[in-house]
Amino acid sequence: MKTASPVPPGDGRTLRVFIWSEYMDPDIVKAFEEQTGARVILDTFESNEAMLAKLQGGGATYDLVVPSSYVVQTMVRAGLLQPLDRARLPNLKNVAPEFLNPPYDPGNRYSVPYQYAATGLAYNKSRYVPRSSWAEIFGPEDRRSFVLLDDPREVIGAALKYLGHSANTADVAQLRAARDLLRRTVAKKGFQGFDGGPGTRNKLLARQIDLGQIYVGDLLIATEENPQVQVVLPREGTTISMDTLVVLKRSPNPALAHRFINTLLDAEVGARLSNYTYYATPNAAARPLLDDFLKAVPALNPPADWLKNGKLNFIDELPDRRAQRLYDRIWTELKSR
Amino acid sequence: MTRTHPLLAAWAWLVYAFLYLPILVLIVFSFNESRFGAEWTGFTTKWYGVLLGRADVRAALGHTLQVALLSTLVSTVLGTLTGLGLWRYTSRARAALSTLLVLPIVIPDVVMGVMLLMFYAAVRAGLERAGWTFDNGFWTVLLAHVTFQISYVALTVRSRLSGYGPELEEAARDLGASAWQSFWRVVLPLAWPGVLAGALLAFTLSLDDFVVTYFTSGSGFQTLPVLIYTNVKRGVTPDINALSTLLILVTVVAVLVANALLRPRRKA
Repeated sequence: MKTASPVPPGDGRTLRVFIWSEYMDPDIVKAFEEQTGARVILDTFESNEAMLAKLQGGGATYDLVVPSSYVVQTMVRAGLLQPLDRARLPNLKNVAPEFLNPPYDPGNRYSVPYQYAATGLAYNKSRYVPRSSWAEIFGPEDRRSFVLLDDPREVIGAALKYLGHSANTADVAQLRAARDLLRRTVAKKGFQGFDGGPGTRNKLLARQIDLGQIYVGDLLIATEENPQVQVVLPREGTTISMDTLVVLKRSPNPALAHRFINTLLDAEVGARLSNYTYYATPNAAARPLLDDFLKAVPALNPPADWLKNGKLNFIDELPDRRAQRLYDRIWTELKSR
Repeated sequence: MTRTHPLLAAWAWLVYAFLYLPILVLIVFSFNESRFGAEWTGFTTKWYGVLLGRADVRAALGHTLQVALLSTLVSTVLGTLTGLGLWRYTSRARAALSTLLVLPIVIPDVVMGVMLLMFYAAVRAGLERAGWTFDNGFWTVLLAHVTFQISYVALTVRSRLSGYGPELEEAARDLGASAWQSFWRVVLPLAWPGVLAGALLAFTLSLDDFVVTYFTSGSGFQTLPVLIYTNVKRGVTPDINALSTLLILVTVVAVLVANALLRPRRKA
């Protein structure tokens, strides 16, 4: 039976981590515990919003949190994060240059990249093999059944990419074009609704649909068991979701948190992490050590120049309230058909 | 004897099928070879092994049972007393109290969760000025559960007694019982089925509450519903099906045992 205890003092012996489910190899945790003599507590959340609500409410003490890139700025503004101490993160040199100094956190002041997934088009070979283009979904023909991700930024972002725009645009004319395109898309006979990764994955495994918009990592986890399900990155470009590691301002054990981050940035640990999560690693040194299965999937690591030439867009926080309202309005209309 | 109309019987079976088929599917899929619940790929018991090796599930199960048992105990005592009070006294305050009791039942979970989170934050702010602080965890979750359980217990107990009037106690007093005796020998035995039903309801509510628990727990105190619900992001693994199957098994056995114990004995 526990008793109400004051906030744990920084004893340097307990690391509290707040993370997505199935996103940390237990063996990595075990090794870190043995190496440091510390105890690691992993708590899980299912959405960035729920995570923020809990942190802002106070009462839950964590050292290390794993938010998606587009909420890092929100957390900075809310005064939740402390700047990272570079001197304690020598392994930062392992991160591929294209993932350093990102738009969502200039100079990596508060965050380092953890794992990412581009958003791709998934299919079941035994049912249908698509071209690697968003035209499969957004094109004029209506012969294929498909599911879209249940996420406004992903769906509107994909439409924008197909039209040749940035997935973070605030341009009204571009957004209008995307809105009209999406209106036509969800009116298609082939449109089977919105779903999350696990739902879309199961529909593809059960051969109920031709195509699904999905985070690459959420599909690959099934490809090893059933090689028929595959995923491609559309040639028009796509969105990319980066999850990051941040240290909370109220962290009782920031030194231990830094040590854990540095461990996760190690080449071998980074590879083990991806082998466990099926998400891609931003760790360049880890890539040669990935399982052969993962190395053989082109969709896992988009071409490096895709980030530079704007084909691949991080989902960023929108520039202003007006843009936010436009996205909200488009999404509400799509969902309330 | 009236015969049940065949249509009515068929309808009843349909209703039962609708209720129990999903549970059956879950049990079947806990023995499925595949990691994904999309297709049957073969029989295996490996997920039960995986489940046994999961320390996080063990910890969550422990937390869940601790909170459920203790909160049920506390809320049953407090709720029973509240229910008796509501039954016994007639006053203008009673109507107000009745309304207050119904509120936790009708307020949406998410509102209650955020409300309690803010309440604890306010209390913490006050304590911090006095140089003391606390982290959310076992006690904050326990208190939150008791908060909504009391209403259910009180209303169950009151409705159980609603057929009796104050003359019940008066008669007991006329026959020479003290206030204590009339409570223990007359009122409580009559209310007992309501108390038990309320306690079972409270226990169940605590066992499967997610929203309020998520907001009022701190770090390192996850319950099973929180653990399972947060798994939806990447997909619930079959070892969670195995866990659910075991929980269902325990529940069914408990109900059968309770039924056997409560069955009136035949007179010899």
